[in-house]
Order: sequence, then structure tokens, then C-alpha cells
Amino acid sequence: MTDADIHVRGLRKVFRQKGSGVAVVAIERLDFTVRRGEIVAIVGKTGCGKSTFFNILIGLEQPTEGSIEIGGRAPYGDFDAFRGRIGIIFQQDRLLPWRSLMDNVTLGLEIMGIDSAEQQHRAQRWLHRLGLDDFHRAFPNELSGGMRQRAALARAFAVNPEILLADEAFGHLDEVTATQIRAQFFDMVRAERKTAILVTHQLEEAIDTADRLLVFGRPATLLADLHLKAWPPQALPGLRARIQAMIQSNEPDPEIITKESS
Amino acid sequence: MADRLPGRQSEAVEAADVAHAGGWPKETIVSLAAFFVLWHLASMVLPPFVAPSWARIGKSLADIATRPEFIAVTVGRVAVALLVSFAIGMALAMAMYWWALLERYLMPLVKVLMAVPVLCWILFAVLWFKVREVRIAFILVVVCAPIFVIDVLDGMHGVSKDLRDMVRALRPSARQFFTKLILPATVPAILTSWKVNLSLSIRVVTMAELVGATSGIGYALMQANETFSVADVFAWTVVLVLILMSANIAVTRIERRLLVWRE
Repeated sequence: MTDADIHVRGLRKVFRQKGSGVAVVAIERLDFTVRRGEIVAIVGKTGCGKSTFFNILIGLEQPTEGSIEIGGRAPYGDFDAFRGRIGIIFQQDRLLPWRSLMDNVTLGLEIMGIDSAEQQHRAQRWLHRLGLDDFHRAFPNELSGGMRQRAALARAFAVNPEILLADEAFGHLDEVTATQIRAQFFDMVRAERKTAILVTHQLEEAIDTADRLLVFGRPATLLADLHLKAWPPQALPGLRARIQAMIQSNEPDPEIITKESS
Repeated sequence: MADRLPGRQSEAVEAADVAHAGGWPKETIVSLAAFFVLWHLASMVLPPFVAPSWARIGKSLADIATRPEFIAVTVGRVAVALLVSFAIGMALAMAMYWWALLERYLMPLVKVLMAVPVLCWILFAVLWFKVREVRIAFILVVVCAPIFVIDVLDGMHGVSKDLRDMVRALRPSARQFFTKLILPATVPAILTSWKVNLSLSIRVVTMAELVGATSGIGYALMQANETFSVADVFAWTVVLVLILMSANIAVTRIERRLLVWRE
């Protein structure tokens, strides 16, 4: 898997409601490519299909139509091929409560069959990097939400994945903690030259941290694909207001699209 | 009041925990002392065959201490039957967890087994088996194994979707998924099931020994009943309660060790 580009082609997802059998379209149509090393944020209204897209991207859901391919392979169809290649940070830390922090961080490495000494070495390195040196043997319920989420970051980075995927990973933390952990996350992503996709409902977070912004309509379609580095800093407040308006109206903004394409 | 209730509940739970752990909170000591005094008063006014004195009960307990083999036999029967029941329960629960079709076919049968009264199993055992030990083992296993199946399977199904998705996203093998997530997550349910079955098996084995044995505490109880020795009946009852309490303390200590992450 040398090509770590992510190709999303004609992606559609329809759920059938249990009982009534009524079809609910979560993803109408998505087409885009994420290049290796890009940091991409996906924003959209609550319930717009962001998390459904996330679940398809990590291989837990099957698309109804279309495909997602990473390095030419489908995360759902070639499920096992992605062992150790994707690091995932969920909305909640999802640490296993009966495992110490160290053992939570080594979980992915155990599954990959990495030898025990290497597991410990990697876990110690990431726990140290995230400021959790004194808490190797602590259980998750002994720690604050911020510390637990940092341990979840360590778990994701420890497998040395090519791609990092985060679903509303900092939204449940208080603002100060979220800002700190978000900064640590993006510093590490850039330092390790990873591809990262961040699903968030917080526009500020997306604009401040990502290289590229995908704006989803509801049901999920691509309203805008913005390369944020191309926008001068003084234009960002105006851009933010236009994106908010776009999300509210659920319609693309022709002016933004014209500027982006020029 | 609404916001005080959880606090009061947690205090009650903590007090119960202390008792389970082998400590004796003052409430337990007071209630046991009150019972001791009330029985003593009753023994002073009622005839010995209704309420024997503590002295008589103590003498019976001393007699019991000279023949501990009856206790050993009953405890041995319970231990073996519980281990067999647990092995069967775990194996069935794991199979039913992996094969949903098997669960759909087997679960109704397990529920039927659980609905049959213990007395009926005792009668069936007497009709079906000649060997006494087989009868007793059959009764205990047929009563306890379904409880292990139900509790363990519930525990497995109760593992949160969030944790399942997190572990699945790491791409474990089926075996890794089970050993790293499902099994450790089910440990609390397994321990609860052991507590329930310990209590149940002590009661059931006594009944089974009443009708189908020539040794054990149930047999001794029957002998005491035939000789109208209420003191002996009471003494054996005390022994049964002590066995159950000791077993519960042992399980609670194991629980504290295994579930240290919950504290």
C-alpha cells in the first residue's frame, strides 16, 4: 500500500429504518480525493452524515453505492489489510476500563502481533510525548477526561498509522483542554507527516487547524472543497461567515467556489 | 431529596461492600446480636423442641465439629457441580454468542430448564439415575448451568457498541476480539453469576441430599428431623449459613482483585 491517497467515488449510503423499513439517505453523493500528508477537516450540520462517512472510511459500514479506496483497497471489503494502517480517535476516548493506560496504548500493537518489548517501548514513547509519564499503571476511571483523550491519541499514534481519522475527538472536552489536546494532535500529525481527516461540527477548529476544508450538506454532499492555505488570513473571517451561511442554507456558495477555483 | 438519594444509595452499597469483604459493619453486628438475644429469650419461654437454647445448639455444633466429613462431602459436591456447571455454561454461552442461530434454538430450551422447579428435578433424578452421586450432581448442574448461560451471555451481549467498534476498527482476529474485549468485559457478569449460583447450590444440594444421599449436610438434617433434634437442625443450618458466607467472602475477594479497575 504505497499510495496512501484516499479516493471517494460516487459514495452513497442509505439506511433502512428498523420496523418501518423507510429508507433514510445519510450520504447523497460524495466525490473527492485526499492526498498523502494532507490535513482535511470535514464540517457540516449535526446529522448530516459526517459520522456515517467516518464509519465507512474506517471500514465499519459498507457503502450502498460507490466506493472509498485507500491505496487501492477498500476499508470495508479488504478489512484486515488495514490492520495497523489507520489510527482512529473517537468522540469519546473509548479506553478499555479494565486495562491500565499502558495496556490501552499497547492494544493495537498486541493485535498487530508486535513483540512485547517493542509494544512497551512504543507505548512509553507516546505516553511520554503526551505528558502521561506518571500514569502508566493508572486505570482510565482514575484520570480526567483530557488525560483519557490524550491516552486515546497515544493509542492511535502508537501503531504508526499512515492515516489518522478523528471523529469529533475534542468536542466533549472543556475549551482549554480541547485547545491543548487539539494542538498536540496537529503538532504530532505534522511532525510525523501523517494524512489526517478530522470530522467536526466546530468550524473554528476546522479553519484554524486544517489544510483543507470539506463542507458537507445534509444529506451528505460536497457543498465546498476549500484549500485554506490559498486564503489570506484577512479573508478568513469572511470565509467563516460564508461557510456558516452555506451550512445553514444547505446550498453551495457560487462566490466561494469561483474564488477557490481561480 | 432527589439529589441526596444517590448518595444514600452509594452509602448503603459501601456498607454492603464492607460486609461482603469480610468486615462487619455495626448494622450487621447489631442485627445479629438482636437475633441472638431474641432467640435466647424465646428459648427461655418455649419448649426445647421449638426453640433450643444456645447451649444446646453449641453442643450440637461441637458434635458436628467431630465429624467434619459430612461438611466436606457437601462442600465437595457443590464445588464439583459448580465447576462443571460453569464449564458447561461458559461453553454454551460462547457458542451461542458466536452463532446467533444456535442462540435462537437453544435459548428457549435454557429458559424451559430454568422454569422447572427444583423439586421436579429431584424427582426426575430419583427416577432416572441409580447412583446417588450422579443424582445429586445432575440436580445441581441442571439448576446452575442455565443460570451461568443466561448471565454470561447477557454479559457478552452487554458490551457497549462503542467499545466493540473501537476494537473492531483495530482489525483483531475473532480470537483476539473475544480475549481482549468480550471476555474481560464479561468478568463482572461471570462473578455475579457465581454469587447467585453459590447461594442457590447450597440450598439445592441440601434438598437433593435430603432425599437422595446417605452422607452430607442434607442427610444429617434429615436424621436430625427424624430424631426431633431441633438443636441439631439449627446447628446444621448455622453451618450451612457459615459455608455460604465464607464462599461469598471468597468470591468477593476474588472480585475485588479482578475488578480493581472499578474502584
